[in-house]
Formats: sequence, structure tokens, C-alpha cells
Amino acid sequence: MIYRESGQYKTSYLNDSQIFPIKQDRYAVLAFIAFAFLAVPFIATPYFFSAILIPFLIFSLAALGLNILTGYAGQISLGTAAFMAVGAFAAYNFMLRVPGMPILLAFILGGVCASIVGIVFGLPSLRIRGFYLAASTLATQFFVVWCLTKVPWFTNYSSSGVITAQEVKILGFHFNTPEEKYLLVLAIVCVMALLAKNMVRSTVGRSWMAVRDMDVAAEVIGFKIMRTKLTAFAVSSFYCGVAGALFAYCYVGTVEPDAYNLDLSFRILFMVIIGGLGSILGSFLGAGFIVLLPIVLSYIVHVTGLPNSVTSNVELMVFGALIIFFLIVEPHGLARLWQVAKEKLRLWPFPH
Amino acid sequence: MSERKIGDVILKAENISLSFGGVKALTNISLDVREHEIRAIIGPNGAGKSSMLNVINGVYHPQEGTITYRGEQRKDMDTNAAAQSGIARTFQNIALFSGMSVLDNIMTGRNLKIKSSFIEQALWIGRARREEMENRKVVEEIIDFLQLQHVRKTPVARLPYGIKKRVELARALAAEPNMLLLDEPMAGMNVEEKQDMCRFVLDTNDQFGTTIVLIEHDMGVVMDISDRVAVLDYGKKIGDGTPDEVRNNPEVIKAYLGAH
Repeated sequence: MIYRESGQYKTSYLNDSQIFPIKQDRYAVLAFIAFAFLAVPFIATPYFFSAILIPFLIFSLAALGLNILTGYAGQISLGTAAFMAVGAFAAYNFMLRVPGMPILLAFILGGVCASIVGIVFGLPSLRIRGFYLAASTLATQFFVVWCLTKVPWFTNYSSSGVITAQEVKILGFHFNTPEEKYLLVLAIVCVMALLAKNMVRSTVGRSWMAVRDMDVAAEVIGFKIMRTKLTAFAVSSFYCGVAGALFAYCYVGTVEPDAYNLDLSFRILFMVIIGGLGSILGSFLGAGFIVLLPIVLSYIVHVTGLPNSVTSNVELMVFGALIIFFLIVEPHGLARLWQVAKEKLRLWPFPH
Repeated sequence: MSERKIGDVILKAENISLSFGGVKALTNISLDVREHEIRAIIGPNGAGKSSMLNVINGVYHPQEGTITYRGEQRKDMDTNAAAQSGIARTFQNIALFSGMSVLDNIMTGRNLKIKSSFIEQALWIGRARREEMENRKVVEEIIDFLQLQHVRKTPVARLPYGIKKRVELARALAAEPNMLLLDEPMAGMNVEEKQDMCRFVLDTNDQFGTTIVLIEHDMGVVMDISDRVAVLDYGKKIGDGTPDEVRNNPEVIKAYLGAH
């Protein structure tokens, strides 16, 4: 009953192409964002910030990046963590070597470096696709981590290969506590999600989806396949790069190249698949699912009082089973489930 | 139909030969298309009709021959150049972007008209937003024209076949083409859908003066709506002329009805 769009007439095309065309959605999202900015800092505990909210937001951003490439442009990538590593280490080096470098600019430049690497490693996509492309992006993964480990300049000749992220300071304000870092990450993620949404509802997004769905037709219509694919790689890697920098600066603090391993790439790929390919919202839902599930599971298993060795294995098994379950029941991910629920709600309680 | 002004030749393909490995798809075909006319290409299955369209808009590159489009002669077309110079097409097997809505599909047809960079689009400012709205307006006119209002926001994958064909035509029209290549626009349709489609093709030709090159199997349709018909068989052109001339051409009769 409350979720009705009757009476909401769109009188201009601008009106009709809003991000949330239905009024209730718009208010709900605004309320949710306001809640995240204004209320959450007062109610959440430091553990909640640093173990759940911050990683959730950072992984959402990385998943968003991968979703642009895989979900929207249809190019499978297993190199997400590598692009994150490039972003993190580039930001670190900019901060280290350029005096007075503002941190936000360092994050952006980190993203730009990741973009450049993304474009270079995206070149094979012009010739190969599908699993073969996935295999070639795997090369990115190994090459970048190897390179960061082998060239000590990147880690500022640190003997253990570990970098410690510099203090996060914007206009004299220090982001030290988890709460402050949370707010910074939240702001960045909100802005970047908005930009991504704008891209996918404009021509650039349509060009990605066109190449994904039918590349011959896309070419005949006038899209340039090469430019489209490389733009997708660049934008996607930019998002992953910024996520990687945030991962280092706002989440773990001290980081080695190996933190950005293949395992992380796969985790982000799972987030995208479970959340929903080709959906901005799906990136967030998927990240939430993957971040929260182990925590919830370990809590449940913990309550049962089984020995530790059993619990960690049970956790893994349930996790795997749930992923398979989701893929079978809803291959289009959580975002699709959400959409179905909304469509049902529009008619509720009179389904006919 | 006779009151329409048919102009000069705007596309001229000369001595086109195309082969894939040892298979000859087209042999020494010459074909011209005049401005504003409806030009049909017919022929039995595997005669090379679709290959001919693919040569015209640059999907295939012929080994021999030249193509002159609007006074510019070249060895082969390039898909992008073809799109830039106003050639749009539909495909035999629907080639829509199945994950997108009808509206988005048609909007893709406008892509060459959009000049803003992806950064402007990401920020949704000034030019990007203005272009989006201007092009949306044109797209809405096409939606009206092809009577697709009711499915505007529906994902293409959910639509029935006949509507999909119409969406594909809409996407091609969105580019405001000078020349429209239609690859079997009425294949697999029932009589009513065929009538609708015929009307849309004729209206397009009438209202926008679009030159139309059409491949079709339904002889009734072809003979009714086209100005000139070319007949291909085994990659060779065996007849060309007005529908009446073609109908009485002994070679064509032989190809269609078998030897007598």
C-alpha cells in the first residue's frame, strides 16, 4: 500500500530519467544515507566500524569497479586485487615522495595509475574474450604482486616488504579513529557510486552494455569497440585502485603486496556474482553478504560451543554451500531478488 | 508510390567478390541503389543476400570490387565509417542488446550524436545532461512512430519476437540514417505483423525519405513495396529491375521454381 507510484507523473524526460524515479525510493535512499552519516557514528562501536562497516564499504567500492568491467562491459577479470594493489602502492609513493601531497589527490592519482595499468592489461580484451581473457587478467594479478615484491623502490626499501600507510589528514583534520575513517570512506564511496550510476545511465554505460550483449551490432551502430572496452578497463581499474588505497589507508594500515592476492580477487568476483552482475546496488549487496556472512556464521557456530578446529571448517562449508545455493536459485544475484520483491510490493496487497 | 521522387544513385557496388576460404559467397556482383528508393534483394537461402548487406556496411570485406557511397569510392567499407556516413541496419537474427530496456536500446542508436565525454556523463552536468535529454526526445518520437510506447521500459529479452523486430528497426532509425539496410525484417511474422512492418517501412521511406535496402523472402511483400528488385542465386546476380521485370525474367523463374 505504501509503495505506490500512482499520482507521480513525469512531466519531463529529465524527471523520468532520475536515478530513483519512484518517490518512495528516493526518500528511502536519502534517509538511509542520512542515517549512515548522522546516526551510525553515534551508535556503532569501534569494533563494528573497523571489522564490518569499513571493510564492507571498501569491498563495495572494489566490487563496484569489477561490476563495471564484468557486469556492465562483459569482460571477465581476475585481476581486481592487482588493480587495488597498484592504487594502494601508488598512493603510498605519491604521499611519500611528493611533499605536501593532499591525501585525496593521492587516492585519485593512485586510481589513475591503476587505470593506466588496467588499460595496458586490458589490451588483450581486444582480441580474446571469456575464459581466455580471464586467464590473461590472471597474469596481471601475478605480475603486479611480483613486481611490487621484487622492486624495493615501491615499498620504499622496507626490509619486510611491508608499507605503513601515512596518516590520513585532510585540510588539517586528522582521521585517526575508526569512526572518522568510516565517515571518510563512506563519503568517497557515496560520491563514486553516484558517478558510476551516472555513467551507466548515459551513453558510456550503454556502450559498455552494448558491447557486452552484442558486439557486432554495437560496432554497426557506431560504437568503437576498442575505445569502449578500454574505457571500461580504465574506469573499473580506477575504482579498484581507489578501493585498494582506502584498503591500505583506512582499513589495514600496514600492508604488504601479498595482501592483494588472488584470493582477494576471487572474493570480489564472488561479491559481484552474488550481488548481481550489472547492478550498482548488487555490488553493495554482494559485498555485504560476503563480509557479513563469515561473521554471522562464526557467531552462530561459536554459540554452539564446538571446538575451534570444527567451527572454522563448518564455516567454510556453509559459506560454499550458500554460494552454490544462491547461484542456483537466483543466478542474477541479490539485486534481482530485491527487484522482484519491489515489484511484488508495488502490487501488494492486491496482486491482481 | 510513383509520386515519390527517386534521386540519383547514392550507393554503387561494382564487381564485388567475396569468399571465405574456398567458399565463394559472392561472385562479381554489381548493384546500385538510388536515393529514396526501396531496393529489394531476393534469392533462395544461401544466395549471398546477407553477405551483400554485410559488405555494404563493412562487416565483411570483399576480396575484389569497389563500393562507391555518396561519391566516395573505396575498396571496402568499414563498419564505423558506414555508421558515420549514415548507413544503419537491422539483422536477420535479432541483434538487440538483450540486457537493456527498449528505451536504452533505441538510445544506443543515437550514440554518434552524443559528443560529451564520459567524465561529463559521470558528473551528469551541462552538455552530457542536455544531450541525453535532446536525444531522448528524438527517441521518444521514434517510439511514437513505431508504436512502442507500452514497452518503453521493458527489458528487451522479455518481448515477443515481432516487437523485438520493431525495436531493432527503431534502433536503426534512431541514427537518422540516409540508408537503411533491413535483413529480413518480416521473417517469422504472421500476416498482421507483416502488414504492420510493411507500413512502418513504407512510412519511414515516405516521411524521412530514407533509402531502404531490403532482404525479404515474402514475394508478396517484396513485389508490393519495392521499387527495384535484385535477384541473387549462388552468389551471382541473375536478375535486376522493377518487380514486373523480375517476375517475368526466365532465369529468376528457373531459380525459384526449378528448371522446366
